[in-house]
Amino acid sequence: MSLVAEAFVTQLAAAEPWPENAALYQQLKDEQILLSDNASSLAVQAFLQMCNLPIRVVCRANAEYMSPSGKVPFIHVGNQVVSELGPIVQFVKAKGHSLSDGLDEVQKAEMKAYMELVNNMLLTAELYLQWCDDVTVEEITHPRYGSPYPWPLNRILSYQKQWEVKRKMKAIGWAGKTLEQVLEDVDQCCQALSQRLGTQPYFFNKQPTELDALVFGHLFTILTTQLITDELSEKVKNYSNLTAFCRRIEQQYFEVHDKDSSAIAARSAKRSLLR
Amino acid sequence: MAAPMELFCWAGGWGLPSVDPDCLAVLTYARFTGAPLKVHRVTHPWRSPSGHLPALRTQDEGTISKTQQIITHLRKQKYNADYDLSATQNADTLAFVSLLEEKLLPVLIHTFWVDAKNYVEHTRKWYAETIPFPLNFFLPNSMHKRHLERLQLLWGDDYMEDEEKLEKQLYREARECLTLLSQRLGSQKFFFGDSPASLDAFVFSRLAPLLKAKLPNGKLQQHLKSLQNLCNYCTSILSLYFPWDGADPSAGAPRAAGTDSSEGEEDPHKRRNQLLSVLVGLVAMLGYAFLSGIVSIQRGGVGPAGRQPIAMGEEEEEEEEE
Repeated sequence: MSLVAEAFVTQLAAAEPWPENAALYQQLKDEQILLSDNASSLAVQAFLQMCNLPIRVVCRANAEYMSPSGKVPFIHVGNQVVSELGPIVQFVKAKGHSLSDGLDEVQKAEMKAYMELVNNMLLTAELYLQWCDDVTVEEITHPRYGSPYPWPLNRILSYQKQWEVKRKMKAIGWAGKTLEQVLEDVDQCCQALSQRLGTQPYFFNKQPTELDALVFGHLFTILTTQLITDELSEKVKNYSNLTAFCRRIEQQYFEVHDKDSSAIAARSAKRSLLR
Repeated sequence: MAAPMELFCWAGGWGLPSVDPDCLAVLTYARFTGAPLKVHRVTHPWRSPSGHLPALRTQDEGTISKTQQIITHLRKQKYNADYDLSATQNADTLAFVSLLEEKLLPVLIHTFWVDAKNYVEHTRKWYAETIPFPLNFFLPNSMHKRHLERLQLLWGDDYMEDEEKLEKQLYREARECLTLLSQRLGSQKFFFGDSPASLDAFVFSRLAPLLKAKLPNGKLQQHLKSLQNLCNYCTSILSLYFPWDGADPSAGAPRAAGTDSSEGEEDPHKRRNQLLSVLVGLVAMLGYAFLSGIVSIQRGGVGPAGRQPIAMGEEEEEEEEE
Protein backbone atom coordinates (compact mmCIF):
# COMPACT_ATOMS: atom_id res chain seq x y z
CA MET A 1 0.00 0.00 0.00
CA SER A 2 1.47 3.33 -0.98
CA LEU A 3 1.75 6.14 1.49
CA VAL A 4 -1.18 7.98 -0.04
CA ALA A 5 -3.39 4.93 0.11
CA GLU A 6 -2.46 4.25 3.70
CA ALA A 7 -3.19 7.81 4.73
CA PHE A 8 -6.55 7.50 3.03
CA VAL A 9 -7.32 4.24 4.78
CA THR A 10 -6.25 5.64 8.13
CA GLN A 11 -8.56 8.56 7.64
CA LEU A 12 -11.37 6.22 6.76
CA ALA A 13 -10.60 4.20 9.84
CA ALA A 14 -10.59 7.29 11.97
CA ALA A 15 -13.81 8.50 10.45
CA GLU A 16 -15.88 5.45 11.32
CA PRO A 17 -16.68 4.66 14.90
CA TRP A 18 -16.18 1.17 16.23
CA PRO A 19 -19.05 -0.98 14.93
CA GLU A 20 -21.07 -3.35 17.04
CA ASN A 21 -20.36 -6.38 14.92
CA ALA A 22 -16.57 -6.34 15.06
CA ALA A 23 -15.27 -9.89 14.99
CA LEU A 24 -12.07 -11.55 16.04
CA TYR A 25 -11.11 -14.69 14.15
CA GLN A 26 -9.09 -17.51 15.59
CA GLN A 27 -8.84 -21.25 15.14
CA LEU A 28 -11.29 -23.65 16.72
CA LYS A 29 -11.12 -23.22 20.41
CA ASP A 30 -11.47 -26.66 21.76
CA GLU A 31 -9.97 -28.92 19.16
CA GLN A 32 -7.55 -27.01 17.04
CA ILE A 33 -5.95 -23.93 18.53
CA LEU A 34 -2.43 -24.23 19.88
CA LEU A 35 -0.78 -22.63 22.88
CA SER A 36 0.96 -19.77 21.06
CA ASP A 37 -2.03 -18.79 18.94
CA ASN A 38 -4.32 -18.99 21.94
CA ALA A 39 -2.00 -16.67 23.85
CA SER A 40 -1.89 -14.12 21.02
CA SER A 41 -5.66 -14.24 20.63
CA LEU A 42 -6.27 -13.78 24.34
CA ALA A 43 -3.87 -10.83 24.37
CA VAL A 44 -5.89 -9.07 21.65
CA GLN A 45 -9.15 -9.86 23.42
CA ALA A 46 -7.79 -8.47 26.67
CA PHE A 47 -6.57 -5.33 24.90
CA LEU A 48 -9.95 -4.69 23.32
CA GLN A 49 -11.70 -5.30 26.63
CA MET A 50 -9.40 -2.80 28.29
CA CYS A 51 -10.33 -0.26 25.63
CA ASN A 52 -14.01 -1.06 26.18
CA LEU A 53 -14.52 -2.03 22.58
CA PRO A 54 -16.99 -4.83 21.97
CA ILE A 55 -15.73 -7.78 20.00
CA ARG A 56 -17.12 -11.22 19.35
CA VAL A 57 -14.88 -14.22 18.89
CA VAL A 58 -15.47 -16.28 15.77
CA CYS A 59 -13.78 -19.64 15.44
CA ARG A 60 -12.86 -20.86 12.00
CA ALA A 61 -10.66 -23.79 11.08
CA ASN A 62 -8.90 -21.84 8.35
CA ALA A 63 -8.38 -18.63 10.32
CA GLU A 64 -4.65 -18.78 9.69
CA TYR A 65 -5.15 -18.71 5.94
CA MET A 66 -7.74 -15.96 6.09
CA SER A 67 -5.39 -13.69 7.93
CA PRO A 68 -3.61 -11.06 5.79
CA SER A 69 -0.25 -11.77 7.38
CA GLY A 70 -0.70 -15.48 8.01
CA LYS A 71 -0.86 -15.04 11.76
CA VAL A 72 -3.80 -15.25 14.10
CA PRO A 73 -5.71 -13.54 15.50
CA PHE A 74 -7.09 -10.99 13.14
CA ILE A 75 -10.01 -8.63 13.55
CA HIS A 76 -12.65 -7.76 11.01
CA VAL A 77 -13.90 -4.26 11.70
CA GLY A 78 -16.19 -2.54 9.22
CA ASN A 79 -14.56 -3.41 5.94
CA GLN A 80 -11.01 -3.70 7.21
CA VAL A 81 -8.99 -6.66 8.33
CA VAL A 82 -6.03 -6.21 10.66
CA SER A 83 -3.92 -8.98 12.15
CA GLU A 84 -1.52 -9.24 15.08
CA LEU A 85 -1.44 -7.17 18.23
CA GLY A 86 0.97 -4.46 16.99
CA PRO A 87 -1.04 -3.37 13.94
CA ILE A 88 -4.31 -3.78 15.88
CA VAL A 89 -3.05 -1.37 18.53
CA GLN A 90 -2.20 1.16 15.82
CA PHE A 91 -5.55 0.66 14.12
CA VAL A 92 -7.43 1.17 17.38
CA LYS A 93 -5.33 4.26 18.03
CA ALA A 94 -6.37 5.68 14.67
CA LYS A 95 -9.96 5.28 15.81
CA GLY A 96 -9.20 7.37 18.83
CA HIS A 97 -8.78 4.78 21.57
CA SER A 98 -5.42 4.40 23.18
CA LEU A 99 -4.19 2.98 26.45
CA SER A 100 -0.68 4.39 26.36
CA ASP A 101 -1.34 8.09 25.84
CA GLY A 102 -0.67 8.91 29.44
CA LEU A 103 2.86 7.57 29.34
CA ASP A 104 5.89 9.77 28.89
CA GLU A 105 8.56 9.08 26.30
CA VAL A 106 10.81 7.00 28.50
CA GLN A 107 7.89 4.87 29.65
CA LYS A 108 6.76 4.35 26.10
CA ALA A 109 10.26 3.17 25.23
CA GLU A 110 10.19 0.73 28.12
CA MET A 111 6.75 -0.51 27.19
CA LYS A 112 7.82 -1.25 23.63
CA ALA A 113 10.97 -2.94 24.89
CA TYR A 114 9.05 -5.20 27.27
CA MET A 115 6.57 -6.11 24.57
CA GLU A 116 9.47 -7.18 22.40
CA LEU A 117 10.85 -9.16 25.31
CA VAL A 118 7.62 -11.12 25.58
CA ASN A 119 7.53 -11.68 21.83
CA ASN A 120 11.18 -12.59 21.66
CA MET A 121 11.33 -14.97 24.60
CA LEU A 122 7.90 -16.14 25.69
CA LEU A 123 6.34 -16.51 22.28
CA THR A 124 9.41 -18.18 20.81
CA ALA A 125 9.60 -20.53 23.79
CA GLU A 126 5.95 -21.47 23.27
CA LEU A 127 6.60 -22.11 19.60
CA TYR A 128 9.66 -24.17 20.44
CA LEU A 129 7.80 -26.24 22.97
CA GLN A 130 4.92 -27.04 20.71
CA TRP A 131 6.82 -27.63 17.48
CA CYS A 132 10.34 -28.74 18.37
CA ASP A 133 9.84 -30.88 21.45
CA ASP A 134 9.17 -34.34 20.06
CA VAL A 135 6.87 -35.62 22.78
CA THR A 136 4.66 -32.54 22.70
CA VAL A 137 4.59 -32.56 18.92
CA GLU A 138 3.47 -36.16 18.72
CA GLU A 139 0.89 -36.10 21.43
CA ILE A 140 -0.57 -32.65 21.31
CA THR A 141 0.40 -30.57 18.32
CA HIS A 142 -0.03 -32.97 15.40
CA PRO A 143 -3.44 -34.26 16.54
CA ARG A 144 -4.71 -30.76 17.27
CA TYR A 145 -3.35 -28.77 14.37
CA GLY A 146 -4.90 -30.74 11.57
CA SER A 147 -7.98 -31.98 13.42
CA PRO A 148 -10.63 -30.27 11.25
CA TYR A 149 -9.23 -31.82 8.10
CA PRO A 150 -9.44 -35.39 6.83
CA TRP A 151 -6.45 -37.66 6.55
CA PRO A 152 -3.95 -37.23 4.87
CA LEU A 153 -4.38 -33.46 4.72
CA ASN A 154 -4.12 -33.12 8.47
CA ARG A 155 -0.73 -34.78 8.59
CA ILE A 156 0.58 -32.87 5.59
CA LEU A 157 -0.42 -29.47 6.94
CA SER A 158 0.96 -30.31 10.30
CA TYR A 159 4.33 -31.45 8.98
CA GLN A 160 4.53 -28.45 6.69
CA LYS A 161 3.97 -26.07 9.57
CA GLN A 162 6.49 -27.90 11.71
CA TRP A 163 9.14 -27.70 9.02
CA GLU A 164 8.48 -23.99 8.63
CA VAL A 165 8.75 -23.33 12.36
CA LYS A 166 11.93 -25.40 12.63
CA ARG A 167 13.54 -23.39 9.86
CA LYS A 168 12.67 -20.21 11.64
CA MET A 169 14.10 -21.52 14.89
CA LYS A 170 17.31 -22.34 13.08
CA ALA A 171 17.50 -18.86 11.60
CA ILE A 172 17.22 -17.19 14.97
CA GLY A 173 19.57 -19.61 16.66
CA TRP A 174 17.11 -21.49 18.84
CA ALA A 175 17.49 -24.80 17.03
CA GLY A 176 20.49 -25.76 19.09
CA LYS A 177 18.80 -25.14 22.39
CA THR A 178 17.66 -27.92 24.65
CA LEU A 179 14.34 -27.88 26.46
CA GLU A 180 16.09 -27.03 29.72
CA GLN A 181 17.72 -23.98 28.15
CA VAL A 182 14.39 -22.85 26.75
CA LEU A 183 12.74 -23.22 30.15
CA GLU A 184 15.65 -21.31 31.64
CA ASP A 185 14.97 -18.48 29.17
CA VAL A 186 11.30 -18.51 30.14
CA ASP A 187 12.33 -18.25 33.75
CA GLN A 188 14.58 -15.28 33.01
CA CYS A 189 11.81 -13.58 31.11
CA CYS A 190 9.31 -14.14 33.92
CA GLN A 191 11.84 -12.87 36.42
CA ALA A 192 12.31 -9.69 34.40
CA LEU A 193 8.55 -9.19 34.11
CA SER A 194 8.06 -9.89 37.78
CA GLN A 195 10.73 -7.39 38.76
CA ARG A 196 9.31 -4.76 36.48
CA LEU A 197 5.79 -5.31 37.81
CA GLY A 198 6.89 -5.30 41.43
CA THR A 199 3.93 -4.60 43.69
CA GLN A 200 2.05 -2.38 41.28
CA PRO A 201 -1.33 -3.43 39.96
CA TYR A 202 -0.28 -2.91 36.34
CA PHE A 203 3.06 -2.42 34.64
CA PHE A 204 2.63 1.33 34.43
CA ASN A 205 1.00 1.75 37.75
CA LYS A 206 -2.64 2.68 37.70
CA GLN A 207 -3.77 2.07 34.16
CA PRO A 208 -3.42 -1.03 32.06
CA THR A 209 -1.66 -0.73 28.72
CA GLU A 210 -1.13 -3.02 25.76
CA LEU A 211 1.85 -4.48 27.60
CA ASP A 212 -0.47 -5.70 30.35
CA ALA A 213 -2.76 -7.24 27.74
CA LEU A 214 0.12 -9.03 26.05
CA VAL A 215 1.62 -10.34 29.26
CA PHE A 216 -1.79 -11.44 30.50
CA GLY A 217 -2.50 -13.26 27.24
CA HIS A 218 0.67 -15.28 27.38
CA LEU A 219 0.86 -15.97 31.09
CA PHE A 220 -2.79 -16.88 31.50
CA THR A 221 -2.59 -19.29 28.61
CA ILE A 222 0.56 -20.88 29.93
CA LEU A 223 -0.98 -21.27 33.37
CA THR A 224 -4.23 -22.76 32.15
CA THR A 225 -3.19 -24.99 29.29
CA GLN A 226 -2.49 -28.58 29.99
CA LEU A 227 0.65 -29.86 28.34
CA ILE A 228 2.60 -33.07 28.74
CA THR A 229 4.40 -31.75 31.78
CA ASP A 230 3.75 -28.83 34.05
CA GLU A 231 7.25 -27.43 33.80
CA LEU A 232 6.28 -24.36 31.82
CA SER A 233 3.46 -23.32 34.09
CA GLU A 234 5.59 -24.06 37.14
CA LYS A 235 8.11 -21.50 35.92
CA VAL A 236 5.40 -18.86 35.89
CA LYS A 237 3.89 -19.95 39.19
CA ASN A 238 7.22 -19.28 40.86
CA TYR A 239 6.41 -15.59 40.67
CA SER A 240 3.41 -14.90 42.82
CA ASN A 241 2.95 -11.31 41.68
CA LEU A 242 2.54 -12.55 38.11
CA THR A 243 -0.19 -15.05 39.03
CA ALA A 244 -1.93 -12.37 41.10
CA PHE A 245 -1.68 -10.04 38.09
CA CYS A 246 -3.34 -12.62 35.82
CA ARG A 247 -6.09 -13.29 38.33
CA ARG A 248 -6.75 -9.57 38.73
CA ILE A 249 -7.12 -8.98 35.01
CA GLU A 250 -9.26 -12.07 34.58
CA GLN A 251 -11.62 -10.91 37.30
CA GLN A 252 -11.76 -7.35 36.13
CA TYR A 253 -12.10 -7.74 32.41
CA PHE A 254 -13.39 -11.19 31.70
CA GLU A 255 -15.73 -12.30 34.39
CA VAL A 256 -17.77 -9.11 34.24
CA HIS A 257 -19.02 -9.51 30.68
CA ASP A 258 -21.38 -12.39 30.19
CA LYS A 259 -21.03 -12.72 26.47
CA ASP A 260 -17.33 -13.26 26.77
CA SER A 261 -17.52 -15.57 29.72
CA SER A 262 -18.21 -18.47 27.41
CA ALA A 263 -14.85 -17.85 25.82
CA ILE A 264 -12.99 -17.79 29.09
CA ALA A 265 -15.18 -19.74 31.48
CA ALA A 266 -14.99 -22.87 29.38
CA ARG A 267 -11.28 -22.71 29.73
CA SER A 268 -11.33 -21.85 33.39
CA ALA A 269 -13.91 -24.50 34.12
CA LYS A 270 -11.57 -27.13 32.89
CA ARG A 271 -8.45 -25.79 34.53
CA SER A 272 -9.06 -23.01 36.94
CA LEU A 273 -6.50 -20.46 37.91
CA LEU A 274 -8.03 -20.25 41.32
CA ARG A 275 -6.88 -23.76 42.14
CA MET B 1 44.92 -17.24 37.38
CA ALA B 2 43.54 -19.22 34.48
CA ALA B 3 45.34 -18.92 31.19
CA PRO B 4 43.94 -16.06 29.15
CA MET B 5 41.05 -16.81 26.90
CA GLU B 6 41.39 -16.29 23.19
CA LEU B 7 38.84 -14.46 21.18
CA PHE B 8 38.62 -14.77 17.44
CA CYS B 9 36.77 -11.98 15.72
CA TRP B 10 36.43 -10.21 12.41
CA ALA B 11 39.08 -7.68 11.53
CA GLY B 12 38.54 -3.98 11.98
CA GLY B 13 37.55 -1.43 9.45
CA TRP B 14 35.71 1.85 8.92
CA GLY B 15 37.25 3.20 12.10
CA LEU B 16 36.01 0.35 14.28
CA PRO B 17 37.88 -2.44 16.02
CA SER B 18 35.66 -4.99 14.33
CA VAL B 19 33.07 -4.70 11.59
CA ASP B 20 30.72 -7.45 12.70
CA PRO B 21 28.11 -6.40 15.31
CA ASP B 22 28.36 -9.64 17.30
CA CYS B 23 32.15 -9.55 17.48
CA LEU B 24 32.03 -5.90 18.41
CA ALA B 25 29.58 -6.64 21.23
CA VAL B 26 31.89 -9.21 22.77
CA LEU B 27 34.97 -7.00 22.35
CA THR B 28 33.24 -4.03 23.93
CA TYR B 29 31.95 -6.08 26.83
CA ALA B 30 35.44 -7.44 27.43
CA ARG B 31 36.82 -3.90 27.38
CA PHE B 32 34.18 -2.71 29.82
CA THR B 33 34.97 -5.44 32.30
CA GLY B 34 38.72 -5.53 31.74
CA ALA B 35 38.68 -9.22 30.96
CA PRO B 36 42.11 -10.43 29.85
CA LEU B 37 41.44 -11.62 26.35
CA LYS B 38 43.91 -12.43 23.67
CA VAL B 39 42.23 -11.07 20.59
CA HIS B 40 42.90 -12.59 17.20
CA ARG B 41 41.57 -10.42 14.44
CA VAL B 42 41.10 -12.80 11.60
CA THR B 43 39.99 -12.07 8.12
CA HIS B 44 37.87 -15.11 7.52
CA PRO B 45 35.86 -17.46 9.69
CA TRP B 46 37.80 -20.57 8.73
CA ARG B 47 40.64 -19.42 10.93
CA SER B 48 38.45 -19.59 14.01
CA PRO B 49 38.34 -22.87 15.95
CA SER B 50 34.61 -23.29 15.55
CA GLY B 51 34.22 -22.01 12.00
CA HIS B 52 32.08 -19.10 13.14
CA LEU B 53 32.92 -15.69 14.42
CA PRO B 54 33.00 -14.59 17.18
CA ALA B 55 34.49 -17.57 18.96
CA LEU B 56 35.99 -17.76 22.39
CA ARG B 57 38.51 -20.47 23.09
CA THR B 58 38.77 -21.28 26.74
CA GLN B 59 40.84 -23.75 28.66
CA ASP B 60 38.05 -25.63 30.39
CA GLU B 61 35.02 -25.35 28.19
CA GLY B 62 36.31 -25.66 24.69
CA THR B 63 35.11 -23.18 22.15
CA ILE B 64 32.03 -21.06 22.65
CA SER B 65 30.48 -19.51 19.65
CA LYS B 66 27.31 -17.56 20.38
CA THR B 67 27.54 -13.96 21.51
CA GLN B 68 25.20 -14.38 24.45
CA GLN B 69 26.96 -17.52 25.60
CA ILE B 70 30.35 -15.84 25.42
CA ILE B 71 29.11 -13.00 27.57
CA THR B 72 27.57 -15.45 30.04
CA HIS B 73 30.87 -17.28 30.23
CA LEU B 74 32.75 -14.06 30.92
CA ARG B 75 30.21 -13.26 33.57
CA LYS B 76 30.83 -16.64 35.20
CA GLN B 77 34.53 -15.89 35.21
CA LYS B 78 33.67 -12.90 37.39
CA TYR B 79 33.94 -10.31 34.62
CA ASN B 80 30.50 -8.94 35.16
CA ALA B 81 29.57 -5.51 33.93
CA ASP B 82 26.08 -5.79 35.41
CA TYR B 83 27.21 -6.33 38.94
CA ASP B 84 25.97 -3.01 40.25
CA LEU B 85 22.62 -3.05 38.55
CA SER B 86 19.38 -3.31 40.47
CA ALA B 87 16.81 -5.98 39.68
CA THR B 88 14.67 -3.56 37.65
CA GLN B 89 17.69 -2.46 35.66
CA ASN B 90 18.55 -6.05 34.90
CA ALA B 91 15.00 -6.58 33.69
CA ASP B 92 15.28 -3.45 31.56
CA THR B 93 18.50 -4.78 30.05
CA LEU B 94 16.75 -7.95 28.95
CA ALA B 95 13.87 -5.98 27.50
CA PHE B 96 16.00 -3.50 25.58
CA VAL B 97 18.25 -6.22 24.20
CA SER B 98 15.11 -7.96 22.92
CA LEU B 99 13.98 -4.69 21.35
CA LEU B 100 17.32 -4.33 19.61
CA GLU B 101 17.37 -7.89 18.35
CA GLU B 102 13.79 -7.83 17.08
CA LYS B 103 13.48 -4.38 15.60
CA LEU B 104 16.91 -3.01 14.86
CA LEU B 105 19.26 -5.89 14.07
CA PRO B 106 17.26 -7.37 11.15
CA VAL B 107 16.98 -3.97 9.52
CA LEU B 108 20.69 -3.41 10.08
CA ILE B 109 21.44 -6.71 8.36
CA HIS B 110 19.17 -5.65 5.54
CA THR B 111 20.92 -2.30 5.17
CA PHE B 112 24.37 -3.84 4.99
CA TRP B 113 23.78 -7.14 3.25
CA VAL B 114 20.56 -7.17 1.31
CA ASP B 115 20.01 -3.63 0.10
CA ALA B 116 21.42 -3.87 -3.40
CA LYS B 117 23.36 -0.63 -3.60
CA ASN B 118 24.91 -0.90 -0.16
CA TYR B 119 25.83 -4.52 -0.57
CA VAL B 120 27.53 -4.19 -3.92
CA GLU B 121 29.29 -0.90 -3.42
CA HIS B 122 30.25 -1.11 0.18
CA THR B 123 29.90 -4.36 2.11
CA ARG B 124 30.93 -6.82 -0.56
CA LYS B 125 33.78 -4.59 -1.61
CA TRP B 126 35.17 -4.43 1.90
CA TYR B 127 34.85 -8.13 2.54
CA ALA B 128 36.31 -9.04 -0.84
CA GLU B 129 39.31 -6.85 -0.15
CA THR B 130 39.86 -8.15 3.35
CA ILE B 131 39.30 -11.86 2.93
CA PRO B 132 42.36 -13.53 1.46
CA PHE B 133 42.51 -15.26 -1.89
CA PRO B 134 40.83 -17.59 -2.91
CA LEU B 135 38.05 -17.31 -0.31
CA ASN B 136 37.18 -13.78 -1.34
CA PHE B 137 35.49 -15.13 -4.43
CA PHE B 138 32.74 -17.03 -2.73
CA LEU B 139 32.66 -16.17 0.95
CA PRO B 140 30.96 -12.76 0.69
CA ASN B 141 28.30 -14.26 -1.56
CA SER B 142 27.63 -17.14 0.78
CA MET B 143 27.33 -14.73 3.69
CA HIS B 144 24.94 -12.63 1.64
CA LYS B 145 22.79 -15.70 0.91
CA ARG B 146 22.76 -16.72 4.53
CA HIS B 147 21.63 -13.29 5.70
CA LEU B 148 19.01 -13.11 2.97
CA GLU B 149 17.59 -16.46 4.01
CA ARG B 150 17.49 -15.44 7.63
CA LEU B 151 15.57 -12.29 6.83
CA GLN B 152 13.19 -14.19 4.61
CA LEU B 153 12.37 -16.59 7.42
CA LEU B 154 12.04 -13.80 9.92
CA TRP B 155 9.92 -11.48 7.85
CA GLY B 156 8.06 -13.74 5.50
CA ASP B 157 7.98 -13.60 1.76
CA ASP B 158 5.64 -10.69 1.24
CA TYR B 159 8.04 -8.27 2.86
CA MET B 160 10.99 -9.44 0.86
CA GLU B 161 9.18 -9.06 -2.41
CA ASP B 162 7.49 -5.76 -1.74
CA GLU B 163 10.29 -3.25 -1.37
CA GLU B 164 8.01 -0.37 -0.56
CA LYS B 165 6.19 -2.15 2.24
CA LEU B 166 9.48 -3.26 3.71
CA GLU B 167 10.90 0.18 3.52
CA LYS B 168 7.87 1.81 5.02
CA GLN B 169 7.01 -0.49 7.86
CA LEU B 170 10.22 -2.14 8.93
CA TYR B 171 12.51 0.81 8.44
CA ARG B 172 9.99 2.97 10.21
CA GLU B 173 10.02 0.61 13.16
CA ALA B 174 13.82 0.63 13.14
CA ARG B 175 13.86 4.42 13.12
CA GLU B 176 11.36 4.36 15.97
CA CYS B 177 13.61 1.95 17.85
CA LEU B 178 16.54 4.36 17.43
CA THR B 179 14.42 7.23 18.67
CA LEU B 180 13.29 5.18 21.67
CA LEU B 181 16.89 4.37 22.52
CA SER B 182 17.77 8.00 22.27
CA GLN B 183 14.92 8.93 24.59
CA ARG B 184 15.89 6.27 27.07
CA LEU B 185 19.52 7.38 27.07
CA GLY B 186 18.60 11.03 27.51
CA SER B 187 21.63 12.99 28.58
CA GLN B 188 23.23 10.25 30.62
CA LYS B 189 26.67 8.98 29.88
CA PHE B 190 25.63 5.33 29.78
CA PHE B 191 22.26 3.68 29.96
CA PHE B 192 22.47 2.97 33.67
CA GLY B 193 24.34 5.92 35.04
CA ASP B 194 28.06 6.45 34.96
CA SER B 195 29.49 3.03 34.43
CA PRO B 196 28.91 0.88 31.37
CA ALA B 197 26.89 -2.30 31.47
CA SER B 198 26.20 -5.13 29.04
CA LEU B 199 23.30 -3.17 27.51
CA ASP B 200 25.78 -0.48 26.52
CA ALA B 201 27.94 -3.11 24.83
CA PHE B 202 24.97 -4.34 22.80
CA VAL B 203 23.69 -0.92 21.85
CA PHE B 204 27.15 0.31 20.88
CA SER B 205 27.85 -2.77 18.77
CA ARG B 206 24.64 -2.28 16.80
CA LEU B 207 24.94 1.48 16.38
CA ALA B 208 28.65 1.90 15.70
CA PRO B 209 28.80 0.15 12.30
CA LEU B 210 25.72 2.06 11.22
CA LEU B 211 27.30 5.31 12.28
CA LYS B 212 30.77 4.78 10.90
CA ALA B 213 30.32 2.95 7.64
CA LYS B 214 30.11 5.08 4.53
CA LEU B 215 26.95 3.68 3.05
CA PRO B 216 25.78 4.90 -0.35
CA ASN B 217 22.13 4.31 0.58
CA GLY B 218 21.98 5.56 4.10
CA LYS B 219 18.48 6.55 5.17
CA LEU B 220 18.72 4.73 8.46
CA GLN B 221 22.19 6.17 8.92
CA GLN B 222 20.88 9.69 8.43
CA HIS B 223 18.24 9.12 11.05
CA LEU B 224 20.87 7.91 13.48
CA LYS B 225 23.05 10.92 12.76
CA SER B 226 20.16 13.19 13.57
CA LEU B 227 20.02 11.73 17.10
CA GLN B 228 22.86 13.69 18.57
CA ASN B 229 23.05 11.97 21.94
CA LEU B 230 23.45 8.54 20.37
CA CYS B 231 26.26 9.78 18.11
CA ASN B 232 28.06 11.32 21.04
CA TYR B 233 27.54 8.13 23.00
CA CYS B 234 29.17 6.01 20.30
CA THR B 235 32.11 8.34 19.77
CA SER B 236 32.75 8.62 23.48
CA ILE B 237 32.82 4.84 23.91
CA LEU B 238 35.14 4.55 20.92
CA SER B 239 37.52 7.13 22.25
CA LEU B 240 37.42 5.85 25.82
CA TYR B 241 37.71 2.15 25.22
CA PHE B 242 39.19 1.83 21.74
CA PRO B 243 41.58 4.75 21.66
CA TRP B 244 43.62 3.47 18.75
CA ASP B 245 40.63 4.35 16.62
CA GLY B 246 40.07 1.20 14.71
CA ALA B 247 43.68 0.22 14.33
CA ASP B 248 44.53 -2.85 16.32
CA PRO B 249 44.35 -1.79 19.94
CA SER B 250 46.74 -3.82 22.00
CA ALA B 251 45.68 -5.98 24.87
CA GLY B 252 49.28 -5.89 26.04
CA ALA B 253 52.69 -4.72 24.91
CA PRO B 254 53.84 -7.95 23.25
CA ARG B 255 50.68 -7.99 21.17
CA ALA B 256 51.20 -4.41 20.15
CA ALA B 257 54.79 -5.11 19.17
CA GLY B 258 53.68 -8.20 17.31
CA THR B 259 51.00 -6.25 15.47
CA ASP B 260 53.36 -3.44 14.54
CA SER B 261 56.02 -5.76 13.34
CA SER B 262 53.54 -7.72 11.27
CA GLU B 263 52.28 -4.48 9.74
CA GLY B 264 55.86 -3.37 9.11
CA GLU B 265 56.77 -6.62 7.50
CA GLU B 266 54.00 -6.32 5.00
CA ASP B 267 55.68 -3.40 3.25
CA PRO B 268 59.03 -5.00 2.54
CA HIS B 269 57.12 -8.12 1.52
CA LYS B 270 55.23 -6.05 -0.98
CA ARG B 271 58.39 -4.49 -2.37
CA ARG B 272 60.10 -7.80 -2.48
CA ASN B 273 57.17 -9.32 -4.27
CA GLN B 274 57.14 -6.58 -6.84
CA LEU B 275 60.87 -6.93 -7.45
CA LEU B 276 60.63 -10.66 -7.71
CA SER B 277 57.79 -10.51 -10.20
CA VAL B 278 59.71 -8.09 -12.41
CA LEU B 279 62.79 -10.30 -12.27
CA VAL B 280 60.83 -13.40 -13.09
CA GLY B 281 59.25 -11.61 -16.03
CA LEU B 282 62.62 -10.54 -17.37
CA VAL B 283 64.15 -13.99 -16.97
CA ALA B 284 61.20 -15.55 -18.73
CA MET B 285 61.48 -13.19 -21.68
CA LEU B 286 65.23 -13.65 -22.01
CA GLY B 287 64.93 -17.40 -21.70
CA TYR B 288 62.31 -17.51 -24.45
CA ALA B 289 64.44 -15.27 -26.61
CA PHE B 290 67.45 -17.57 -26.32
CA LEU B 291 65.53 -20.76 -26.75
CA SER B 292 63.67 -19.71 -29.84
CA GLY B 293 66.77 -18.27 -31.38
CA ILE B 294 65.77 -14.67 -31.75
CA VAL B 295 68.82 -13.73 -29.74
CA SER B 296 72.02 -15.68 -29.46
CA ILE B 297 75.38 -15.22 -27.85
CA GLN B 298 78.21 -15.36 -30.33
CA ARG B 299 81.49 -16.96 -29.46
CA GLY B 300 83.98 -16.64 -32.23
CA GLY B 301 82.12 -16.86 -35.61
CA VAL B 302 78.52 -16.06 -36.24
CA GLY B 303 76.28 -18.81 -34.83
CA PRO B 304 74.23 -20.76 -37.38
CA ALA B 305 71.04 -20.17 -35.48
CA GLY B 306 71.49 -16.45 -35.84
CA ARG B 307 72.03 -16.41 -39.57
CA GLN B 308 68.93 -17.98 -40.84
CA PRO B 309 66.40 -15.51 -39.57
CA ILE B 310 68.52 -12.67 -40.89
CA ALA B 311 69.06 -14.39 -44.18
CA MET B 312 65.32 -15.06 -44.50
CA GLY B 313 64.70 -11.45 -43.78
CA GLU B 314 67.07 -10.45 -46.55
CA GLU B 315 65.45 -12.78 -49.02
CA GLU B 316 62.06 -11.38 -48.22
CA GLU B 317 63.30 -7.92 -48.74
CA GLU B 318 64.76 -8.87 -52.08
CA GLU B 319 61.52 -10.45 -53.12
CA GLU B 320 59.58 -7.43 -52.16
CA GLU B 321 61.84 -5.18 -54.09
CA GLU B 322 61.41 -7.23 -57.15
